[in-house]
Amino acid sequence: MSVIRPWLGLAVLAAACAGPTVPPTVPEKVVTAPATAPAPEPKAAPEPKTKATPKRAPEPAKPAPAKPAPPKVAASAPALDLKTLEQRLKDTSAIGVLTKLSLKNQVDDLVGKFKTYHAGARPPTLAELRPSFDLLLMKVLSLLQDKDAALAREINASRDAIWGVLTDKQKLAEFS
Amino acid sequence: MKRLALAAGLAAAVAFAADDPKQKEDLAAVIALQGKPCGEVVSYTVQGANDFVATCKDGNRYRVHVKDGRVVVEKQ
Repeated sequence: MSVIRPWLGLAVLAAACAGPTVPPTVPEKVVTAPATAPAPEPKAAPEPKTKATPKRAPEPAKPAPAKPAPPKVAASAPALDLKTLEQRLKDTSAIGVLTKLSLKNQVDDLVGKFKTYHAGARPPTLAELRPSFDLLLMKVLSLLQDKDAALAREINASRDAIWGVLTDKQKLAEFS
Repeated sequence: MKRLALAAGLAAAVAFAADDPKQKEDLAAVIALQGKPCGEVVSYTVQGANDFVATCKDGNRYRVHVKDGRVVVEKQ
């Protein structure tokens, strides 16, 4: 049997399933208001810079800058772990080898069309690509839904994330 | 001895019928993925590595094989 690697194309799909890579949210730097001047110690050695006057009220000098509203958490698309999904696709017995290869061919074809789109050629337009994408996803789901329903559900739930990757030139390049 | 080897080679080259239900499903799925009518594969013969002729319930016959990494479905 010739060496068939039907998973390369599906891996692209799987990679797409991983969803857009949302940059990890950097923990916000906690801006604390400057510490209030310590209680004046009588005859304490004068500190070089903190010449706080004892009568000074708790200093509203530098009001902490208003914190920007925390970034809205994007509606969390179910993030499929790429490696896990790839492995699950490899392992599933719901799809035969020839079917996997055939799907890979179709995924490759579709990805090629998206690359053409990203290269600036028209057609295809996104409006033209969407039906092809939907149809291919439907094929995958119909092949999986009876024998690997869980995987089918996860892929279906990741539909928008996959589309997001395909329509983003950089993200698509990362997975190709 | 040479004749024996030749006979063995010929026997190996001849297509043989097979009856693996999973393979039938696989072939039916591939044919459907290519948008060709079939419905159900009732039988198939193995022509070689990744090379089959599938007979569908509706009477259609397709050669399903792999060429240059692509699955090709040809009506017979």
